[in-house]
Formats: sequence, C-alpha cells, structure tokens
Amino acid sequence: MYRQKYIFLLPGLLVLVAIILFPLLFTIRVSFSSWDVYNPGLNWIGGENYARLWEDARYWEALTRLSVLTVGTVLLQYTLGFALALLVWRDIAARRFFRVLFLVPMMTTPVVMSVIWRTIFHESLGPLNPILDAIGIGAQPWLSQAGHAFAAVMIVEVWQWTPFMFLLLLAGLLSLPNEPFLAARIDGAGPIRTFLSVTFPMMGAISVGAILIRLIEASKLMETVYVLTSGGPGTSTETTSYYIYIRGMRDFQIGYSASLSLTYLIVMSVALTLIAKALIRLMVKDRT
Amino acid sequence: MLELSNLTLAEGPVAHLDDVTVSFRKGRLTTLLGRTGAGKTTLMRAIAGLAEPDRGRIALDGKDWSRLASWQRPVAMVTQQFINYPHLSVLDNVAFPLVRRKVPQDKAREAARDMLGRVGLGTMIDRRPSQLSGGQQQRVAIARALVKKAPVVLLDEPFVNLDYKLREGLREELVDLLKAERETIVIYASTDPREALQMGDDVILMAEGRAIQSGEPQNVYARPGTTRAAEVVSDPPINLIEMEVSGGQLRLDRLADLPARALGRDLPAGRYTLGLRAHSIRQGGDLSARVSLTEVSGSETVTHLQAAGQALVMLERTVTNHALGTTITLSLDLGEALVFDAQGRLIEKEPVHG
Repeated sequence: MYRQKYIFLLPGLLVLVAIILFPLLFTIRVSFSSWDVYNPGLNWIGGENYARLWEDARYWEALTRLSVLTVGTVLLQYTLGFALALLVWRDIAARRFFRVLFLVPMMTTPVVMSVIWRTIFHESLGPLNPILDAIGIGAQPWLSQAGHAFAAVMIVEVWQWTPFMFLLLLAGLLSLPNEPFLAARIDGAGPIRTFLSVTFPMMGAISVGAILIRLIEASKLMETVYVLTSGGPGTSTETTSYYIYIRGMRDFQIGYSASLSLTYLIVMSVALTLIAKALIRLMVKDRT
Repeated sequence: MLELSNLTLAEGPVAHLDDVTVSFRKGRLTTLLGRTGAGKTTLMRAIAGLAEPDRGRIALDGKDWSRLASWQRPVAMVTQQFINYPHLSVLDNVAFPLVRRKVPQDKAREAARDMLGRVGLGTMIDRRPSQLSGGQQQRVAIARALVKKAPVVLLDEPFVNLDYKLREGLREELVDLLKAERETIVIYASTDPREALQMGDDVILMAEGRAIQSGEPQNVYARPGTTRAAEVVSDPPINLIEMEVSGGQLRLDRLADLPARALGRDLPAGRYTLGLRAHSIRQGGDLSARVSLTEVSGSETVTHLQAAGQALVMLERTVTNHALGTTITLSLDLGEALVFDAQGRLIEKEPVHG
C-alpha cells in the first residue's frame, strides 16, 4: 500500500525524463561524436569537439559579445522599467492608459517586431534616418556598420523587454506598504532620499528577481539578431545562440554544436549563479 | 507658539476641519479630545503637511508653514498604526531622521542608541521591527519621533492599538520622557476623556471638525461650554435631561417634578437641559428605572437604565452586577448638575471672571 503512492509520481517522472533528462543526456553523448553531414550517427571521438571549441575564437567572441549585450540591455531595461513604473505608480493623469501602452511592445511577437525595426533602421527607406537628419544628427549606417548594428540590436531588445521589467517592478511598487513612505515624509525625507532609503531598498528582492529572469532570457538572444542583422555585418552582432544555430543547422555539424551548447549551458549556469549571489548581497540588505 | 487660524478642510459635503482656530504653547502637552471622526487626525495631518487645508494658516512663532512641504516641516509624529521601516534594524529606524539631516552616521547611531535605551529597547537595537511586539514597535516609533528634537511633536492616539495594561504603562513613560522637552509643543489626540484629563496641560475639545472649547482640563471638565462639549469631555456619558422651570417648579421631562430650589440657584422660567454626570445618580430613592446594561470595569460599575423613556447612565464606585431587566430605584444629586439654556449653552452657576 505504502509503495503504491509512487505510481502516482510516474506520469510526471516520465514527462520529466522525456523532455529534460533524455535530450540532455543525448546531447552529452552527441557532443562526443563526429556527427555531421558526412558522418551522421554517434561515432565516438572522445573530447575532440571540446578541444576544437577551446581554440574557436569566434565562439568565445560571440560569448563575450552576448555577455556585454545581456548585461547592457538588462541594466537599461531595469533603469527605464523602474523609471516608468515610478511614473505610473502614483496618481498621474491617464495612468491606466499609460500602463497598457507600455505593455504593447512585450505583447508583440519578437520576429514581427524585429521585421518592423529592420524597416525602421533601413538606411535609405526607413523613417529613422530622415528624422535624425531633420534634427541635425544626420543619417546613421544602422545595419551596415559593426558598432551601429550592435546598438540597433540593443535598442530593439531594450524596446521589447523594458515593459516586462516595468510590469514586474510596478507590481512590486504596488505591493509595498504605505506606512514607511508616510514615516519618511514625517521624518523629513524628500523625494530623492525617500527613493534611495525607502523605495529602492524595499524593492531589492523583487529587483533581483526581475533582473535574473531577464538575464536568463536575454542570454538566449537569437530571434532579434537572426531577423535584424543575421549576425552581421561580419560577425559583429553574432550571439552564442546564433553561432550555435549556424554550426548546427546551417553547417550541420551536430556533434560540434552539441559541445558548444553544453559548454554554453555550463558557462551561463555558473555566471548567472555568481551574478545572483552578487545581486542579493548588493541589493537585498540594510540601507540607511 | 503654534497657531492655527481658520483652518478648513472639506471633502465634498463632509467638513473634516471647520474653521479651526487654536494655538498650542511651548513646553505644554495639549490634548485634542474628541470622538472618532471629530477631526483630530485630520488636524494633525494638516499640521504635519500630510493633508492640505482648503484655507487657513498654520504658523510656528509667526513663521507661516503654508508653503512648506511635509518633509520640510519641523514636526515629529507618532500615529495609531505602528509605523516603522520594515527593511531597517531598530537602531537604523531611530537613526533615520538624523541621517536624513546629514548628522554623521556614528553620531546619529549614538543618539538613536541613547533614545532606545530611554524607551527600554536598548537590548533590541539589531532586531527588525517585525521581530518586536506591538508595544515595542510603537516604542521604536516614539523613539524615532523624539530623537529628532522637533519643536512640534504630534501623537495621534499612539496607544489605541495596545492592550489596556500596556497602554497605561507606556502613557506614563511617555509623559516622563516629554517632561524633559521644555521647549517642545506636544499635541496628543485621544478619544478617552480620562486620558486627556490626566495627561494634558491643556485640552482642546473637538466635534464635527470644529474646536468647540479649549482650556485647562479641570476647568473644561467642570464647565463645559455646551451640551456637545459636555458629551465629549464626560466618561461615562453625561446624562442630558430636558427640563422646564415654571412657577417655582422644576419639571424634569418624564422623570420628576422638583422644587426649583433643588438646583441651588434661581432660574427664570423657560426650557433648559440639565447635565447630570453619571456619578450624580445614585441607587435608592423615589425614581424607578429598568436596567438595560451593566458594565463592570475594574472596581467601578456603569449601569445603563431606562426611566420612563429617558435613558440614564449611573456610575457606582463598587462592583454591583445589576441583573438585566430588573427595576431599581434611583435618586438624583443635583448639587454638581450643569444647566444649559435652550440653545445648549452652559449657564454658569456663579459669574466667572478672567
């Protein structure tokens, strides 16, 4: 009788094995094989793929680029999202309208949104350059120069995901108790001191949560790059996921791309764990 | 001196403050006494800048506060709720107002530690407010208010959410703490007449958003200017009995006919309201009344009665459990009775000069 209860765990366990454990173990096995377009199958080649990966400068560049892009966009999203949430937190005119308006980018499909932005950034036909021209900044080579293309990817990422940050932080702000703010007013704290000493520290835990969720999501960046720049010009906007896609799906080097994926998973897991610990130490603590 | 002139604050048709003109003196504890909804909290919020009056002026030593934001006003406030910073330690909670004023961190903490010692929380400085009991949390709030040395301290029923015994103890501690602040204006809101009369150097009675009477507590208690003031300042409730004087007779509506001299003074013929405090009604006499409620509190008994359709309240300094629905006999001691005219204004027994 006692053991029968484990039968009820079986369906869930099967699903877990089928969708997580099996693909992971299979990928590990594939990463030790030479599976490519000429030699399909699980031919054991030991650690050859990992040795090759170690020497693959393009992979490490993509990983570095992704790190900069991830940290940069998430910081911008956090700052802008917090500012917008603070703006609509208190009573301002048409607050409900703004709350909905800010969420529109998040509800748009990433690929559709990237296509729209590619049109906006188009150097001769897009609407952005004429506007920049009109205000004296001048037309920019948005998608044909490395720095500009990188900035374009960042702009699109920030535009699309700031609303997510806004939503989480607004929910956090709305859940804060009123009393500490009343106390701060009576204790003579002006708006800036109140933000620094009361609002921000009390938002520490939810900020860490929101930043981590976005870091995890942003570290998988793929669609925007695929549609907007295809990793170019050259490899200047190529992210790790996009590089793995090229190696695996375009060049059909399945064994090698499996080793790239696993390495990427390990690097990201370690990095995000360290970042999470640092953020908790930094943001979830006493402040006066 | 803190002066409030013609302070008015309305929300739609409801007047929270109605032309309030009062002043508060330095080195004195002034009690705002009134029932719930009388406007005490609104008045304090207006002083602190947390509520904006529609008109009127608030000035400290002649300096107008109208243009000062709440955080610019030299005010400390303790509210009914235990308001602290949940993310800060007890020590940092109390140090916060000083840190805000750019007092160096170590000096702010030293002053906070000293103040926490005075309110009996010297051993709990590293805890968070949520780890303290209600009484301790309110002590933290009081310490935070006092550490600022603000010239105006507002205490809005600070002990109302605490149990009776704790309330008594904290009230005494607070009075001791405030004695040292000779230049401070302390304003204490209360719904409890006994508390107001015991604590305050001055008392201001409030009702329906108006300040209806002010003065020294014993004077206000002994000579409430109107029937409304008598109601506010009396606990247990004062008995207000309609009466008529005519032809040497004193007719208490529905209760009794007495000779006019029973009141110890001559009143011209006309209608009046007799104010009879609960302790002036005694058991035993000619008047029959039915018991509708008995409240035993400590060593006192408050009995609510019905006598010929007139509600009466009797206070006895003993514990007497009158059974509900029984009929008892009463006598009225008119020696300390108050007499109000037809408009509800007090008629002084003897002229008061000065």
